[in-house]
Amino acid sequence: MTPSFFRIQELDVTASTNAVAKQAAEAGEAEGLVVRALRQTAGKGRLGRTWESPEGNLYASVLLRPRSITLQWAALYSFAAALAVHDAVLKACPEASLQLKWPNDVLVEDKKISGILIETAPVVQNLVDWIVVGVGINVASHPQEALYPTTSLSEQGASVTVDAILTYFLQSLEQWRQTLYYDGFCPLRKAWLSDAKMGPMVVRTPTGEIQGDFAGIDPKGGLILRLAEGAETVIQTGDIFFL
Amino acid sequence: MSTFDLDIKFVRKLAELLKETGLTEIEYAEGDKRIRCVGAHAPVQQIVAAPTAAAAAPVSVASNAPVAAVPVVTEGTHVTSPMVGTVYLSPEPGAPAFIKVGDKVKQGDTLLIIEAMKVMNPIKAPASGTIVELPVTDAKPVEFGETLVVIG
Repeated sequence: MTPSFFRIQELDVTASTNAVAKQAAEAGEAEGLVVRALRQTAGKGRLGRTWESPEGNLYASVLLRPRSITLQWAALYSFAAALAVHDAVLKACPEASLQLKWPNDVLVEDKKISGILIETAPVVQNLVDWIVVGVGINVASHPQEALYPTTSLSEQGASVTVDAILTYFLQSLEQWRQTLYYDGFCPLRKAWLSDAKMGPMVVRTPTGEIQGDFAGIDPKGGLILRLAEGAETVIQTGDIFFL
Repeated sequence: MSTFDLDIKFVRKLAELLKETGLTEIEYAEGDKRIRCVGAHAPVQQIVAAPTAAAAAPVSVASNAPVAAVPVVTEGTHVTSPMVGTVYLSPEPGAPAFIKVGDKVKQGDTLLIIEAMKVMNPIKAPASGTIVELPVTDAKPVEFGETLVVIG
C-alpha cells in the first residue's frame, strides 16, 4: 500500500517529472504530490546530464514542504532519498549486494541502479519553500553508455513491476522523511554508513581532483575524505570514482 | 497580527544558547507563539551604505506570522550564501548565465544555483534592482556567508 501522505499523478509521457512537480509546487500544490511518468522525453540528471528514460523503468518526483527548514538542512534529503531507493531495491532483490555511494547513489554489484535529482526553492534567502525529490530506478533496462557502470533490477534477476518499486520507494521515503524531520540526521547517517561503500577514491570536484580514503560523513552530510598525509577534508560537491 | 507578552529572559536564554552552540538560528514555538533567534553570523542581507550595522546578534521576535526575519532592502543588497556548496551561474553547463553585471532583476528572479549533497538550490533576488557586483565564479565552491551578488 502506498502511504496515504502521497497522491500519485500518472502521466504517460512528459519531458521531466521534476519539471512537472516543480511547476505544481510553484502553483501552490500541497506536499505529497508524486508525479510519475511511464517515460520521459527530456529526463535530467545533475548538471543537465541526460537521464535516458525509456518505458519500463521508474521515473517519479515527489513534492515535499517540510516546515521551517534551512537550505543546509534540505541537503540531507539526499540521504533520505538514497535510503528509500536502497530499501526499495533491497525489497525487490533481497539477495543482491547493495552499497551506497556518497551522497545518494545506490550500487548493486558495484553498478549504479538509480539516480536522484533534488531541487529546492528558498522562500527568503535560506528557508525552504519546497523540495522536489526526483528519482529514477532502472527496472527493465539500463543505459549502456554512462559516466559510471550501470545495472537494472531485471539484470539482477528481480521480477518486479514498476508500480511495486514505486510503492516500496514511497513506503520507505515516508519513514525516512519523518525520521529526518522529527529525529534529525543521526539515524539516517547511521543507516547510510552501515551500507556505505568504503575504500580509496578520487573525487572530481569543481576545483579539481582529490584522492583519498572514505572516512565517513560529517553531521551535515559532507563526505569526509582522509588524505595521503593523514589530514582530512570535507567535500560538499563532487563526483566519486572508486579506485 | 496578535501580540503576546515577551519573556525577555527567555529570549536572552535562547540568544545565549545560540552563541554557546554556534548554531545559526533557533526557533521556539508553543501554540501559535513563535520566537526565532538568528545569530550575527547568519546570512542576513546588509546595506552597503551602513557599515556600522549590527555588531550584536540580531534577535527577531515574531508572533504567529510566517517567519520573515530578514529585512527587505532595495539598495545595495548583499546576497550571501546560505550554505557551503558549489555555485552555478547558469541552469546547466553551456546554457546562458542567469544574470550578469548590469542586468536588471526583479525580486524573486533566480540569480544562481548553489549545490550541496547533490541538492540544487536556486538563490532568488531578495529585492529588485541592478546587478552591481557578481564576485563568484561558475562551478567554484562558496563558503557560508560569502557574498554572491550585490544588487544596487
